[in-house]
Order: sequence, then C-alpha cells, then structure tokens
Amino acid sequence: MPASIKLQQQYGDALQVLFVESQGADADKFEAFAWRQKWMGTQAMWTDERPLEISGSGLPAFALLDIEGKILLQGNPLEQKKKIEEAIAEQVKKASSAPAGTPAVLAKSWARFTKGDVAAALAECDKLGTDVILAEPAKALRAEMVARTEAKITRGQWLIESGYAAEASTLFASLAKSVAGTPELEGKVGRELARLKAPDKALAAQAEASKALASLQQKMVKDKPFDDGNVKALLKLAEKHAGTKAGERAARLAKLAKLEP
Amino acid sequence: MNATNWKLAGLALLLLGTATWTTAAGGDDEGARYTFRRAPVNSMGVRGMAELRGKPVLIDFWGTR
Repeated sequence: MPASIKLQQQYGDALQVLFVESQGADADKFEAFAWRQKWMGTQAMWTDERPLEISGSGLPAFALLDIEGKILLQGNPLEQKKKIEEAIAEQVKKASSAPAGTPAVLAKSWARFTKGDVAAALAECDKLGTDVILAEPAKALRAEMVARTEAKITRGQWLIESGYAAEASTLFASLAKSVAGTPELEGKVGRELARLKAPDKALAAQAEASKALASLQQKMVKDKPFDDGNVKALLKLAEKHAGTKAGERAARLAKLAKLEP
Repeated sequence: MNATNWKLAGLALLLLGTATWTTAAGGDDEGARYTFRRAPVNSMGVRGMAELRGKPVLIDFWGTR
C-alpha cells in the first residue's frame, strides 16, 4: 500500500492511483481506515467497486493500465515492484509524447502543450496548419489540445459547484496563465476566475468553508488524523459552516473518526 | 425432450451466457470503460475510468483486514 502512495506522490497528476477495497468494507470503514493509516492527502482515489477483473486471487493485487486504459501488468505488486516502476515511468513519458502519427514538426507544439504553454502550442498549430501538407494533422492536434483543456475547465467547474473552491482557484489560476492570449479558452477560464474572485454570497460561503477544511485536512494528514483535537476542530468547522458542502464533509470526517478501528 | 432435459439445457445456456459475459468483460480495455455507481472518495468529479485516459492508472486491490 505505501508503495502506491509513494508513486502517487512522486508522479502527482501524471499518474492516477485507484485503491479498490476488496474485503467487503463499506466506504465509511475503508476511508476511516485509510485516514488512520495516514494514507490520505494525495491525489489517490478510493473505492469499493472493481473496475475490472484480474487473473489470480488473493491480496495484495494490482493492475496497471496504460494511457489508453489497457492492462499492461497485473498480479502481486510485491513480486513486480521494479517492473511496475519502470512501466509507469515509460507510460508517463509516453503520455507527454504527441499522439501517434503526429509529424515531428508538430510534436514540438505538443511538447509545449504538455508543459502548460497552451496558448503558444495552439498558435504554433495555427501557423503550421497553413502548410497544405500539415493542415490536417495540425487541425487534429489543435482539436485534441482544446478538448483536453476544456476537460480541465469542466473539472474546475465541478470543483466550484461541489464546494472545492480552494482547489478550483489553484486550477484556474494555472489555466489562466496557460491560455492567456487564446480568446476561445481565455474567456471561459476568465469567467470562472471572476466567479471565484467575486462570488455570490452562497459561493463565498462555500469557498470559505472549503479553504478552512483544506487547511485542517493538511494538518490532519501530518499528525494523528483522528486525535481529539482534530475531531473537535472538524465538529467546530461543521457547525460554523453548516449548510456548505465542506461543512458536510467535515461532519462526515468527524463521524468516521468515531468508527471502531 | 423431457422437463429435466429442458432444465439442463436452460442451465447450460445460462452458464454459456455467463462465460461469454465474463470473457467480454475481461477484454483489454475493460478498465477504461467502467463507470462508477458512486464516485470514488477523493475523485474530484471523476465518475468513470474513461476520464483517466491519457495517464497511467495503477489499481491497487487492498483490504482493511
């Protein structure tokens, strides 16, 4: 388990670790367990639903999906530690490469895109796309860049609506730099940033609660997550920010802390 | 075919159907098509595995016991 968490920490957004509880514990129980073990606090996701079946039985077990979602490796992670690390490194590198079939001259634009310079990458595609030979691949690559950026914007909108204002602010601040000078994306990002900077009363309350909970959770993962001080702080936050989504999450975490280990 | 044989034939068809489904579900990109019934903890809006395409996904099967 800690090995997967270390990999998530090491690769950040370039890798997604999904923990699948496989011994019948419900969501409350496995989340409480993970908090107590200090396994929370990364981008890893947790579920009790098996997205796929793998061969063999018993725990621990793993499956590594490539960037297209196909199984690359599976089995006992303790027996394949090195292979898993190498395969992840290779896939992360592959993910930053341009889609298959992209001409070399356009691959440079993709490299810019993956480094976060979306505006420059799109401008290059437009420029290179004036060449008859490159017109079609440049158009396809541009469309892929726009689609991926719009997916991030959609994710950010979900964060705002779901009371994760702190996370949404970080995402949109980064996106604003990336798309500056690209009207088709700059406008969309700007609108969300404006919502975050001058929110209506309800959104402001959600944002304040979200920031307070994010700060408390950072503290929780560093020391004993469910000690009395943290539980009291969670309850206080839930009371102060009653009616907000972060307030609901704080109340739920306080409830998890009371579950039998 | 008597009643017992019909029941056996039905059971065989049922088993065949199950086996076929298992094979289909075990396809290469099965993991990329799954949609969660309930959003995973810390999913930040991700509802299906398709949304994770473009990055490697390490699925860690674990237990609380």
